[in-house]
Amino acid sequence: MARDLAIDLGTANTLVYMKGRGIVLNEPSVIAVNRQSGEVLATGHEAWDMIGRTPSYIVAVRPLRGGAITDFDITERMIRLLLQRVGVSRFTRPKVVICVPSAITEVERRAVTDATRRAGASDAQLIEQPMAAAIGANLPIDEPVGNMVIDIGGGTTETAVISLGGVVALEAIRVGSFDIDAAIQNYVRREHGVAIGERTAEEIKIQIGSAEPGPDDRSADIRGRDLVTGLPKTVRLTAEEVRFAIDEPVAAMVLSVKRCLAKAPPELAQDFLARGMYLVGGGGMLRGLAQRIQRETQVPVKMSPQPLEAVVLGAGHCIENYQALRGMFMGARR
Amino acid sequence: MIAMSFITSFFTFMAVVSGGTLLVLVYLDNRKSRIDDGIAQFRRHIDALSPEARRNSVHHNNSDDRWSR
Ligand SMILES: Nc1ncnc2c1ncn2[C@@H]1O[C@H](COP(=O)(O)OP(=O)(O)OP(=O)(O)O)[C@@H](O)[C@H]1O
Ligand SMILES: [Mg+2]
Repeated sequence: MARDLAIDLGTANTLVYMKGRGIVLNEPSVIAVNRQSGEVLATGHEAWDMIGRTPSYIVAVRPLRGGAITDFDITERMIRLLLQRVGVSRFTRPKVVICVPSAITEVERRAVTDATRRAGASDAQLIEQPMAAAIGANLPIDEPVGNMVIDIGGGTTETAVISLGGVVALEAIRVGSFDIDAAIQNYVRREHGVAIGERTAEEIKIQIGSAEPGPDDRSADIRGRDLVTGLPKTVRLTAEEVRFAIDEPVAAMVLSVKRCLAKAPPELAQDFLARGMYLVGGGGMLRGLAQRIQRETQVPVKMSPQPLEAVVLGAGHCIENYQALRGMFMGARR
Repeated sequence: MIAMSFITSFFTFMAVVSGGTLLVLVYLDNRKSRIDDGIAQFRRHIDALSPEARRNSVHHNNSDDRWSR
């Protein structure tokens, strides 16, 4: 018997939920490919360790970067590998629910569905990430009150208002935590004349990055390559500098939340004030981000206890109750 | 002759009327059950989203055993 699956194919992390079992796989959405033969050499953690360290004929890439299905062929291969790794064979064809950004285009939507079917699913359904996040974060979405959920991932920021089991307002942009990494890379290159890799930039973000000044503002020494001499060089970065460097993507995220608030029916405004907004996604873990959103919107923000897993848990719940929750899937509504 | 044709047309008329009524009844009945189905489906949908219903798929996953793949 095939066990049905829910997959959160995030731009940064991939998680798989198996019906009756829970989360069975959780790893970076990275794939290492031999450019000459087209052969897949590694996926997940193994491929992640290769990023920026491969000989030129091997590329370790995040195929879903930007929240878009940029490379259809690699996406299909990735789904196929995922299904293989969790034990799907030619004889067991499970139903699969895939979490996708709500900003996905019609063409991308069809591409993901087709790729999933071709990779061995008997049925492929899509669910919008913020909807899944709201289910997984255990918000009271079965009640007639406005529940607001903000999902800040690697490649996307999505905000949704959900009431009585359906989406009431939605706002999505293709700006995410990767853009913060890129902003740090650019800043260090421009202001210090040093090139750093994206993994180093991410480490800086997690260690000293912040969206608001705080008591734990620290500095860090970072190593990169001097753009002029080409030699390794260490520079010292302060928390304030990093805050300045990443202000553009952070401001875009906050603005997107504000736009969603403006789109929501006025009746629900008092619900937000009373119940707050829920923050999920790894990008939401940036120090001070919840406080900054709260300060700029005047609406309380609560961080979900499991920001990285909420989406796949929500989609997993839909897999456990497939018949009752069919209406949640993309295309079923309206 | 006249009586014959009267009886024939009377029966034809009755047949058409009762047939039509039957069709209308069947249609109304169908429509009613379709509306009921919609309500039942919505209720199932909302029930499946209640915190109690979600407890199994959400909370049981918070135990550590899932990391030991
Ligand atoms: N403590 C932290 N502080 C800041 N950023 C963090 C932290 N931990 C993880 N991140 C960032 O969160 C991102 C991953 O989040 P998540 O797994 O929710 O993304 P995703 O679901 O794969 O992406 P998307 O939803 O956009 O497709 C990464 O960019 C990572 O750098
Ligand atoms: Mg995500």
